[in-house]
Amino acid sequence: MKPRSIIIALIIILVPFAIGIPLFIAKRSEAAHQKIHFTTDTRKNAEGLTYKGIKVDWSFSSDWKYKPLFFKAEEYLVFMFHYTNDNQHDVQLMPSYTLVSPGDRDYSANEEIAMYIEDRLEDELRVNDETSITYKISPGTIKHYIVTFEKAQSLDSFYVDVDVFRDVALRIHYEKKDRVWVNYENELVKKYKGRG
Amino acid sequence: MFRKIVKNFGPEWGAAVMGTAAICITMQLSSEVSRFFSPLLYVGVGFYLLTTVMLIAFLIPWTLRFFMYPEEIKKDLQNPVRGNFFPTMPISFILAGTGTNKLGPMLFGPSLAYHLSIVFFFLGAIGIFTFGFLLVRTQFLNKDIHLEHANFSWFIPPVSHLIIPVLGACSMDVYWAGTPLAPVLFIISMIALGVGFLNFLFVGAAVWHRYIYHTIPQGRLAPTVMVGIAPTAIIVIFLMKFIQAIEASHGTLFGINLMSIFSSIKIVASMLWGFSFWWLILAAILFTHYVKIKDHPLEFGWWAYTFPFEAFVVATGLLAQCVATHFLHGVLITLNTLVVIVWIIIVVGTVKWLESGAFFKPQH
Repeated sequence: MKPRSIIIALIIILVPFAIGIPLFIAKRSEAAHQKIHFTTDTRKNAEGLTYKGIKVDWSFSSDWKYKPLFFKAEEYLVFMFHYTNDNQHDVQLMPSYTLVSPGDRDYSANEEIAMYIEDRLEDELRVNDETSITYKISPGTIKHYIVTFEKAQSLDSFYVDVDVFRDVALRIHYEKKDRVWVNYENELVKKYKGRG
Repeated sequence: MFRKIVKNFGPEWGAAVMGTAAICITMQLSSEVSRFFSPLLYVGVGFYLLTTVMLIAFLIPWTLRFFMYPEEIKKDLQNPVRGNFFPTMPISFILAGTGTNKLGPMLFGPSLAYHLSIVFFFLGAIGIFTFGFLLVRTQFLNKDIHLEHANFSWFIPPVSHLIIPVLGACSMDVYWAGTPLAPVLFIISMIALGVGFLNFLFVGAAVWHRYIYHTIPQGRLAPTVMVGIAPTAIIVIFLMKFIQAIEASHGTLFGINLMSIFSSIKIVASMLWGFSFWWLILAAILFTHYVKIKDHPLEFGWWAYTFPFEAFVVATGLLAQCVATHFLHGVLITLNTLVVIVWIIIVVGTVKWLESGAFFKPQH
């Protein structure tokens, strides 16, 4: 091969790495300087909920800023759910999450943003996020899962349905009072089971 | 010079975009395996940006050729090998859309990224269906196609249809779930899935027939064997993305309940992944044969080694999210490394092929 061809090939091959590695370093350093505030951490005051031997706790940050490379930062509602198996046997979990804002507008969790902020959140809470759709929890162990929602403008209340049990969903209610998000109620709501 | 480039810019150049685009997804999936691999997410962004540059750079001469040299286009469409490569450009749109869906939010924020990926979805789907009909029509009416023309590049049109529901399911996953666009995406995706899957079976039987009852193709077509990995691997990708779309739609999408189909999907996806794995070994056996008889010349067609293999790696990464997680994560990391090695070899090979002047002497 001619030297010119070797240079062209090298440029093409190195471009993704030359972009990716500095970007990773820049994003990591940007994230390290980010101040994170958790509005709720139910583990601290034993406020989590237990049903069928599965204890659900959560940490919630109401104003997590994520800045895309070419656009300004936006705020996200970030939850880290902690599932503890208090049973004597293994349990297999496959939770799904929905945020409902006033007017019954549903929002699904944003997997992409969760993926980008995963490392920073894991560092902050010193836990490891599960990446699989479904996961087994052995007796007495805890698994963690990040859930991120896009924050609608002028949002002042919402609830999140954590669909983790077969017959009921855990509903977590939040309301903004004096610029602070307050977790004013948690309940287990019955799910429709049957035909129709 | 530019006119000469346009004239010789064959339909197969989309394969280079495809082979680069899918790496951004293999990187993204590998980055989720453990903290150690986190930088791969950003390397994936690098591949995504390179893909974008390649797509724009190749799309210009590829499109101009239709207007400046329609007789060349006609000649290529009639060709039983080259003709099948026309859908590679619309496939590149779907892959660019998938990359935009997964990595775009890091660059432009979620809203713009999800809108952009929808634009890619419709552009890609229109192109794929158009070329699909055009190629079937040409094949059916062409009196000069014989048994010895059958080769695995014929899988490209079915593969192109199968890739549509992948982006369809990715788009239904979060942003468009519950919007009036979701049923449109679902219907288009299901039509494409049906067309792609059944055509894969029909075409597969035809090409298989040639491989058994006639001689196998000459060495320059050796890489096309690899395309056989793609159909089942892409169906696995679709099934996994579809499960995630149902999960994101609060467990029920268009009346399809997550809990009622999840077990079946795990079984079907594992079987299909197994078939792709089997075909990967088959492709390796045939590759060894061609190398042994010294009939494996340097061709642009080497790009056929990239995308199908990458599709298999993506299928592995997604399957790992619900089946044999630890084992498949190990497989994913190993295969992702191999994907990069193969891509590097093909890039160097392509530059060498261009240097030889073969670009201006297309083989029909």
